[in-house]
Amino acid sequence: MLKVDSLTIAYGKTEVVHHVSFDVKKGSVVTIAGANGAGKSTILNTIVGLHRSKEGSILYKGEDITRTAPDRLVSKGIRLVPEGRQIFAEHTVEENMLLGAYVEKDAKKIRDRMDQMYDRFPRLKERRKQIGGTLSGGEQQMLAIARALMTGPDLLILDEPSLGLAPIIVKDVFKLLTEIKQTGVTILLVEQMVDNALSISDYAYVLETGNIVFSGTKDEVKNSDDIVKAYLGNV
Amino acid sequence: MQQLIFGLANGSIYALMALAIGMVSSTTGIVNFAHASVVMMGAMVSWWMMVIYGLSYIPALFVAIAVSIVLNIVMYETCVKKLGDLQDNVGWIITLFGASIILDNIARMLFGTEPQAFPYLFGGKMVTFFGANIMLHELMMITIAVVIGVVYQTIIKKTRFGRAVRAVAFRPATSELMGIKSEKIILSCFAMAGAVAAIGGALIAPITFASYTMTYSIGLKGFAAAVLGGFGNTKGAFIGGFILGLIEAFISIFVPAGIKDSISFVIMIIVIIFLPEGIMSAKFFNRNLSAAEKV
Ligand SMILES: Nc1ncnc2c1ncn2[C@@H]1O[C@H](COP(=O)(O)OP(=O)(O)O)[C@@H](O)[C@H]1O
Ligand SMILES: [Mg+2]
Repeated sequence: MLKVDSLTIAYGKTEVVHHVSFDVKKGSVVTIAGANGAGKSTILNTIVGLHRSKEGSILYKGEDITRTAPDRLVSKGIRLVPEGRQIFAEHTVEENMLLGAYVEKDAKKIRDRMDQMYDRFPRLKERRKQIGGTLSGGEQQMLAIARALMTGPDLLILDEPSLGLAPIIVKDVFKLLTEIKQTGVTILLVEQMVDNALSISDYAYVLETGNIVFSGTKDEVKNSDDIVKAYLGNV
Repeated sequence: MQQLIFGLANGSIYALMALAIGMVSSTTGIVNFAHASVVMMGAMVSWWMMVIYGLSYIPALFVAIAVSIVLNIVMYETCVKKLGDLQDNVGWIITLFGASIILDNIARMLFGTEPQAFPYLFGGKMVTFFGANIMLHELMMITIAVVIGVVYQTIIKKTRFGRAVRAVAFRPATSELMGIKSEKIILSCFAMAGAVAAIGGALIAPITFASYTMTYSIGLKGFAAAVLGGFGNTKGAFIGGFILGLIEAFISIFVPAGIKDSISFVIMIIVIIFLPEGIMSAKFFNRNLSAAEKV
């Protein structure tokens, strides 16, 4: 589904991601673990076209998307749920969802998607006339995910979906991601602590200061003492 | 009554200028210091079309609108976009002031230094309105400005385009993630501001006469109105324009004309000190909003 090859990314002259390669297979859930500042967001933002890479290539469904603009990638089925949710706080909940469907021109499709989302997230339906800024953190995360699902993506990318949420809400988020996976959506997510992420993942990578230092299946991660100590709280 | 209409008519021009300045600053965070010059260009082009090519008022205005839209787009491409991240640099202050000086001088070369008479709408016909003699043109100024303001707010609140404008104004990068081309939205805002500039120019020119300096003092008052409304708050800026016009008209009953022009700046300074976010941030306007809604 997604193949990142020797990706190098810099801000100005400062290189922060060095020759990173990884693979996300169709229908799988892949987690990239990494401490704050490791370069996780930089990689994700580059995949979705917000930032240009210096070297390397990104293939999506076999097609080179290294230099493709964000709006084209949305149409192709790649959606990012950004770090910190980034809800449009002054737009209503419903407007946030409509913005999520911005590239979709077919009004009926938008309506159907919206109804599906409201079925899945009754809280959002209740609050659809409220502005985004009045939602709780957990509700905002649900809205950020629902907003991304408005175009029916094939690849859903999430940047620290558990950031700043109470443990009980985090459980809900990952339960939701499992459900989304079951509908056939491929998921790539990054986290600092990967307890929850790992439980739903097929494969994991560890990123340290812009380098992939480990990759393996869920069990291989759990068998590596160093990794467990650094990125897992309580397994 | 006459003072009221006079104040509102002047206010309508300040309102249109403040609205256009707000359109641009809401999505880019920049203040278009060259806006007054584009208003002037709009008026001069209208005048030219009428005098040299014999067009009537409305067709001439359409040509001026087209020219001002192009001017604003060129200005965005050359003075703003080339600078890159506008949060990180304030180069636009220089480039836009520069653009304004260039436009003023082009106008001086093309149209001369002599202020030119500019026709009123309806040939300057007067009407009796609540017992006062009022020029129909002034009523049209107010009506057109209000229509533009209401149409703009409706577009911004209700349409897909308007949602995108607000999104880009609030979070440009996240808007890109939604598939919105921020750049295209910003360009549209510059274009709309250009159109509004030309209309304002053609409406005020009969009163100020058409010349390359016609917007020097009006332009500053447009900025004062924008400050009054809070930069980037198009609704506030628009209302600010009318308030400024009214205050001026009524104060000028009591003070000599020379002092009148400084009034708007005294008001502007007071507003900056006490309500730095603009009049719309005053408690009076936000009684029913919870804190979170003001994000
Ligand atoms: N816009 C930026 N400009 C310059 N440096 C940046 C920028 N964003 C992130 N960085 C730097 O890039 C590195 C990786 O950041 P980031 O990708 O945000 O890490 P993570 O998401 O893993 O916490 C950090 O050293 C950070 O300081
Ligand atoms: Mg990050």
